[in-house]
Amino acid sequence: MFKTAIHKIYVIFGKQDNGNLEQLSRTLSGLFSYVNTTSNLYLVAGNLSESMPQVERIQKDVIKFLKKNLFARLYLHFVHTVPQTTVKGIDYYFQYYYQYLKRETRTFDQEGYIYQEVPRFMLLPVIVPDNRIEPASLITLLDRLKGAFMLPCLYLDKSVFFLTQDKDLMSSTEKLYYGNDDSKEPAEIACNMFNGDLLDDSLEMLTSEDRFIPGPCRASLIISAQDGKVYTCLDAFRKNESLTDIYESSNVDTLMTLYYEHDRSKRDCLGCRGRAAESFADLPISQGRKQQIGALLCHFGTLHHEAGDDIQAVKKYELSLKLSPAQEAGHINFRLGLSYKMTGHYNQALEAFNSAELTYADQYYFHFYKGLCYFAMGNYSTAIEKFSDALRLKPQKEDMVRILIYKGTCFNNIGDYEQAVVALEKAGETAGHMKEIYNALGFSYFQLKNYDKSIKNLNAAVEIDPYSAVDYASLGSNYREKGDFDKAIVMYEKALALDPDMIPARENIERLHRKSERFAKVSKRK
Amino acid sequence: MLDVHLLKLLPYGINATCEHLIPQFLNSSILIYCLTLIGRPLIKLSTMNVLLIEINPFASATTPISLGYIAAYLKSNGFGVKILAVGEDMSLSCSNFHELINTFKPALIGLTAYQRTMLYVKGFAGLIKSIDNNIKIIIGGPQATFMPSSGFTELADINYICRSSGEMTVLSVAQAIKNGTPFSNLSGVSYKDSDGAVYDTPELEGFTDLDQYPSAYLNDVFDYSHMSEAIMLTSRGCPHHCIYCYTPQAFKHKITFHSVDRVIEEIKWINKKGIKRLWFADPNISFKMERVIELLDRILSENLKFEMWMQTRADLVTPELMKKMKNAGVKTIAFGLESASEQVLTRLGKHLALDKVVQAIRMAQQQEIEVELFTIFGLPYETFDDAVKTLEFVKENKVKIMGNTNSQQMQIYFGTHLAGHYKDYNIRPLNTDRPAYISIGSQYETEYMKSSDFHKIQNMWRANSLDGGKRIVS
Repeated sequence: MFKTAIHKIYVIFGKQDNGNLEQLSRTLSGLFSYVNTTSNLYLVAGNLSESMPQVERIQKDVIKFLKKNLFARLYLHFVHTVPQTTVKGIDYYFQYYYQYLKRETRTFDQEGYIYQEVPRFMLLPVIVPDNRIEPASLITLLDRLKGAFMLPCLYLDKSVFFLTQDKDLMSSTEKLYYGNDDSKEPAEIACNMFNGDLLDDSLEMLTSEDRFIPGPCRASLIISAQDGKVYTCLDAFRKNESLTDIYESSNVDTLMTLYYEHDRSKRDCLGCRGRAAESFADLPISQGRKQQIGALLCHFGTLHHEAGDDIQAVKKYELSLKLSPAQEAGHINFRLGLSYKMTGHYNQALEAFNSAELTYADQYYFHFYKGLCYFAMGNYSTAIEKFSDALRLKPQKEDMVRILIYKGTCFNNIGDYEQAVVALEKAGETAGHMKEIYNALGFSYFQLKNYDKSIKNLNAAVEIDPYSAVDYASLGSNYREKGDFDKAIVMYEKALALDPDMIPARENIERLHRKSERFAKVSKRK
Repeated sequence: MLDVHLLKLLPYGINATCEHLIPQFLNSSILIYCLTLIGRPLIKLSTMNVLLIEINPFASATTPISLGYIAAYLKSNGFGVKILAVGEDMSLSCSNFHELINTFKPALIGLTAYQRTMLYVKGFAGLIKSIDNNIKIIIGGPQATFMPSSGFTELADINYICRSSGEMTVLSVAQAIKNGTPFSNLSGVSYKDSDGAVYDTPELEGFTDLDQYPSAYLNDVFDYSHMSEAIMLTSRGCPHHCIYCYTPQAFKHKITFHSVDRVIEEIKWINKKGIKRLWFADPNISFKMERVIELLDRILSENLKFEMWMQTRADLVTPELMKKMKNAGVKTIAFGLESASEQVLTRLGKHLALDKVVQAIRMAQQQEIEVELFTIFGLPYETFDDAVKTLEFVKENKVKIMGNTNSQQMQIYFGTHLAGHYKDYNIRPLNTDRPAYISIGSQYETEYMKSSDFHKIQNMWRANSLDGGKRIVS
């Protein structure tokens, strides 16, 4: 019905972007007309004191917009490091910065009270603590923020994961964000926060949709305040594919026209969502959360498999196995086995299939896929065992034919042509006309020197597929063995006409011509 | 489809020029095209458009069934109608709202008003007027019907308040606008003149036979692309006298019905649209036992497969009904308990014995139908211990505390008996400076419970909740 409204804007501050504050402020004010009625603005700063002028100015712009538009809600997430470690140092932060920011938003608290709702403007500070910090000091700050009706969140990089052990600290925190490295660079923090929201979005969709096909994330913009570059999503930001530069072209309507013209659905959304989920695998999150991510990765693995990208599928399944509960291992291993098979890693595929044995032992297709691995590895005897196991479990008609063809081919390959004929004839009885069956039977009967039956099957094969060079060549060989050189040459020539590179057919023709000539000379002499 | 009228059909002389007509009609968004056909001037008019908006930024948008009825009624009377349901999952910006108004060009916009969305109603009204000051705005719904005139005066951008049957009232306003006399011959509304003076018009009686209202479903007024659950309203009103409830007053303690045939016809239509869940919004679906039995029988005999949610009074169910509900696909049944304290219940006008609630829960549980219990705390005469008793009752009866079973504080809305008589119940409003269009809501204390007690009992419910306390029905 409508063009997508922007749900999230991330502004990443740099060290030297003060000079462009006017332009940044103008752009954001213009963008507010395009944001959703409920939206989020993330201001990601390094050092709070350096970024305070920008934050103050942008907060003023937000307040101006909200006062004019009573239907709009905006949550301002202000992300910054806290280098202080002592209670006194941290208290300074609260007194000096937050008290000031909060004072400007009191009217919205009052409005919320009157209308008996959550205020339309909320400040959600996201604190990035230093690794020397004492949890008690941090709790003091968070509690003071809460007391002033701000909802404090924490961004934990690797160096401060130990803080998750502090239950009091965790209960004082509104929301936790994680970084899977120890970088405190604003750009890295913004990416990791984006990842967290992307993961939440994917998990929600996995729960609510029967078949979740990952599309673009919620409409977002990432703005680098340092160079003015605007990105449409995390994938674009990571690949440095900017949409425009607000310091060069200041028109917001033009920016949004470009945004709507840019087809976000063509980005690597599955890859991006997958990376977001993967980035959480080693984080100190709850077991339950890890299991949800495991289920999500398994789903993504299946989507990669279906899209023909089994290398990515293997990666997702492997990680899913690590995160998922033991009772899911069978299902994931089976899928992992399929993807390994597709990438030609048959030993790994068999290992994964063996781990899925308990869950899938009564499924015919499970034995069939194992058989396929042995087949591809040239272990035809074991492949025959597996195909026989599959057949015992009464497969569906179409699958039964496929299994019988493979089984017959295995027998052909080990030279047991009698058994090959048994399997292939049964396949033929079940499937009716099928070129592959006639072709394989042609081979089996040829080997059994039953040339008439071989010719009959190969003729049936070329009737179905008149462009099958190999079947004409096989017919040629049958006629050759029967001594009917003329017909043999005709067949080889047909094969050559269809496939000029078929060297055996050319050689046979030459050989047969020589034989015919010798035969003619001998006959003449006589 | 555009209606084509000869100029003589308009209340202007044949010689009226288009220049003269256009400003008059642009006000009501009627597009006028001057055409010359065989030398004769011809006026081509489009239908007048009405936009109906329901806002709930705190939850996913649901089927706005009441707006659906109004839309269907307007549509059957020749108006073009669009419904906009703004929920938390919707993508809507100022920019695309502008675009909607500028392309659809409504002459009248209706907004559903609830206590908790009044700020948004005000905000959208302001935005609409800033786009086109000629667009008329009407509000309706629970917060509007009994809103005092002083409240209406404070709502500068609102032109009308719907006080009677939504379908008929909005139609009367739409017709007045279409006729170019937006404040004449009106019924069922309060309106403001250009000086801001408020006038009340005579009441409008709605149909007693609900089948006379065109169906929102059969007239295809909804967008089904995002609809996962259809809301049914097979009856309206409630004959009871619960002092905290708006419904009985709004419907004058009467209850009116759709025929079973009509409901089945709608369900079949919904089925064709691929929707598999039905949510019956009737306050008491089993008020007429034989009717609900017939409805369930028809759902079964027509082989209509749905997952259903229904609500009713606990003293209006039998084991046979529960069995039938189960067979027909009712997955959840909700009963209004309100309080598990007999002394509180007696004074609420609810007239419901607790043992009846216990029996109803057992009947449903025996059929493996999920039970939801509506409860409220902060009721008149309720002590903290009484409030705890309600929580204990829910736990003892093994009703899962989640969704609608999450309790909430009583809200005092306009139109309820309590809103008019709160002093008689020793209720003390906390905020006397609120705008006149906002009712007391949850900002009060009672003789026995203070705000801190409300927080305490709320937290006790949350601690026992399986989903963190998010209620579906407010």
